[in-house]
Amino acid sequence: MTRADAAVTLSGVSRVYGRGGAAVRAVDDVTVAFPRGGWTAVMGPSGSGKSTLLHCAAGLERVDSGQVLLGDTDLTRARDGELTALRRTRIGFVFQSFNLIGSLTAAQNVALPLRLAGRRPRGSEVRETLAAVGLADRARHRPRELSGGQQQRVAIARAMVTRPDVLFADEPTGALDSSAARVVLDLLRHMADAGQSIVMVSHDPVAAARADSVVFLRDGRVVDHLAGANAHEVADRLATWEAAR
Amino acid sequence: MMGMSRAGLAERWPLFVGAFLSVTLGVALVQSSLLLLISAATFDPPAGLSAAERMEFTDSTAAVVSMLGIVLGIATFLAGFIISSTFAFTVAQRRRDLALLRLVGAGRGQVRRLLLGEALLLGALGAAAGVPLGLVVMSAQTWMLRRMRFVPENFTGEWQDWILAVSFGTGIVLAVAGAMVAARRAARVRPLEALRETGDAARVMTVTRWLSGLIFFGGALALIIVAPHGGAAGGPAMAMNVPLPAAIAAAALSPLVVPLLGRLLPTGSGVAGVLARANLWDARRRSASVAAPLIVLIALVVGTAGAGASFTAAGIDQMRSQTHADLVVETTGPAGPAIAAVPGVASASTETSLPATFTTGHGEDAETETGTAVVVDPAAYAAAHSTGPLTALHGRTAAVGPGGDVPSHGTVKIQLPGLDLGEVPVVASVPAAMSGGDNALLPPGLVPAALLAKADTLSFVTLRPGTDQAAARAALAHLGTVSTTDEWLKADAKVRASTNDKIMLVIMGLGGLYALIGVINSIVIGAAARRREFAEARITGLTRRQVIRSALLESSAVTAAGILLGGVAAAGALLAALTSTAAVTGHGTLSIPWPLTLAICAVALLVTSATSLITSWSATRHAPITLLAARE
Repeated sequence: MTRADAAVTLSGVSRVYGRGGAAVRAVDDVTVAFPRGGWTAVMGPSGSGKSTLLHCAAGLERVDSGQVLLGDTDLTRARDGELTALRRTRIGFVFQSFNLIGSLTAAQNVALPLRLAGRRPRGSEVRETLAAVGLADRARHRPRELSGGQQQRVAIARAMVTRPDVLFADEPTGALDSSAARVVLDLLRHMADAGQSIVMVSHDPVAAARADSVVFLRDGRVVDHLAGANAHEVADRLATWEAAR
Repeated sequence: MMGMSRAGLAERWPLFVGAFLSVTLGVALVQSSLLLLISAATFDPPAGLSAAERMEFTDSTAAVVSMLGIVLGIATFLAGFIISSTFAFTVAQRRRDLALLRLVGAGRGQVRRLLLGEALLLGALGAAAGVPLGLVVMSAQTWMLRRMRFVPENFTGEWQDWILAVSFGTGIVLAVAGAMVAARRAARVRPLEALRETGDAARVMTVTRWLSGLIFFGGALALIIVAPHGGAAGGPAMAMNVPLPAAIAAAALSPLVVPLLGRLLPTGSGVAGVLARANLWDARRRSASVAAPLIVLIALVVGTAGAGASFTAAGIDQMRSQTHADLVVETTGPAGPAIAAVPGVASASTETSLPATFTTGHGEDAETETGTAVVVDPAAYAAAHSTGPLTALHGRTAAVGPGGDVPSHGTVKIQLPGLDLGEVPVVASVPAAMSGGDNALLPPGLVPAALLAKADTLSFVTLRPGTDQAAARAALAHLGTVSTTDEWLKADAKVRASTNDKIMLVIMGLGGLYALIGVINSIVIGAAARRREFAEARITGLTRRQVIRSALLESSAVTAAGILLGGVAAAGALLAALTSTAAVTGHGTLSIPWPLTLAICAVALLVTSATSLITSWSATRHAPITLLAARE
């Protein structure tokens, strides 16, 4: 894959926590490219550094060495203001714990990134984004009045309203029951099919199997790749790497 | 952004109610004190007063004005301290919310503007409520001043239209200034912090905190060092001011000390105690925010009242050791010859006190003070009050009295009721008394007898050895009220101590109440963010009882640490009082108002315990799982 095909490219990225003997290499010299218009899942045993990798890829975490490119933009050199601008325009986030603002309605939560970017959101824009996640009728509800699956879909709508280059998702189904998880995964699949680049961290083989490809991580290093595998194959491979510890 | 400010207000209401209350009460207190000060300064003497009464009126007004000046100073200090620390705390409590905003694209400037917008809104709303509340506070303060006879019955606090600008300005400026530092810090929050479950991982001892702590510590230290060199008037003024910088320093440095002190306190070995100690260490920011107003409360009340009582006691001691007489006769008009004629009287210092104004300087530099001049027999006075010889005091001269406020050389223009003495050379001075007294001594003959005839006169009478005191006393009783010197000193001391108590009550009463409300505020704000923490503890297996017990232990430990730190700050003031009284009277006097100290500590402990009991009880009302499951 050439750099032009990649939505995000990590080259020799390391992230170390602590110092001296207590130092932990959460991400250890990782080179990986997440393709444009594709959905990549990052898997690994707990403590393998998959969340740190996602945070580094999204410019949320400083890297100690290496380079992170979002398209052609070097995130490792970006200043705080530039990163903020990128979060408003080219990067979207979805997290396990939804992280919606409790006092704002679903529509207000979705409109928030646009307002922070200094735009007065058009009502239709927000409505369409909420409709795209199947929540057109929940616009005036506050997060506490929504189920977990609905809250996560509002979070996806909030991430998508700026039409970002890449959607980063950290265990997006981790806090959901299986039927709510399926709805969220169907939604992500639908977005990926429409050309959205998605990077997702998950420990759930069912979720990872819905992605186009799976990257396996262990002890901060990329150890394996799988493409077009089903949930059984993903689970087997994950079990292999977990047993290898 | 303002819309988001409003939305933020609605969600985290205990934080904002706390911040709002701090502004409202602060503005009310400052407004009332300022209006009273202006009213007292412009209060006209009632019509139909004699010249003497008019001068006395001016003198007592000047005393009330300077007392209200201190009241205003303390009100402003407290408002600044409590409002700014409350706002800083509310910002610190929302780190995670702010990180979340940063995560979805808010820039640092936007976070800052959001917080300042909030502060502006809360400052304005708080001031809007503070203005009418200020009128209520003013009537309470006026009632207190009247009841204690500091002001006449017809004194009222006058409304001024411009006070609206001052009150709104105070509320808004203090709120925004308080939020400013915290907002700058909060704007630097990293978006990733939104993903951590536990907020407030930030460093507590920031550079600003260190700096302000050390600067104010230096200020307090300087006052303590300089106070003994300030004399009878400057020393008390400096010592009484020590609690302010000392309290700020102690509050700023408290995150270092509160957890340590908390650990030393017995919280029991049960699981609640272990959790309480762990929380004290982990939530240093919260502990410090609760301790801060407590430190100020204790430092201010105990330090100022203790220093005040020490100076009063020193004044009484000084007077006792310097007064040499057997009997004191109180008469109207000088009764010197009549007293001297009583069998057995060896000598008598007859002192007739008159209201007076003293003017120094000329033209634009002229300064006029109102006070009292006392006509004395120099030799008898020197003997009765163990001053140095006053042989130069005769003819058209004056001497500086124990009350000071008159230049010790050159001339002073003295005006008595209905009599202008013109420029009088100052030829001598007696040592300043800790308890004040007459400002100038005048020799006999300078003031016409007619003017003295109706003035209050004290005669300090020494009897010949072997004289029957009872007989002399009976003979003197025909001239005026007679008491032994001991009785008279005791009565005088009682009056002085009670005046000191009243002044302290006026100065500290409402301020102390405000600081106490500040303590409640911080606990409520701190508890608002703890529902989740409590729920987690209960999910882990703690009973609701244990959670509440742990919160209670934690707050008691913080209170004890706050009392200790406040005590240290108060001790600074007491140290300054000790060294200043030693410098003025020759031996250090320390009078600690133990009943007040114990009462204020008990009230603090009671209030913090009750508040944390109520808040933790209310925060654990619902089953823990409902909180942990329905996460936003």
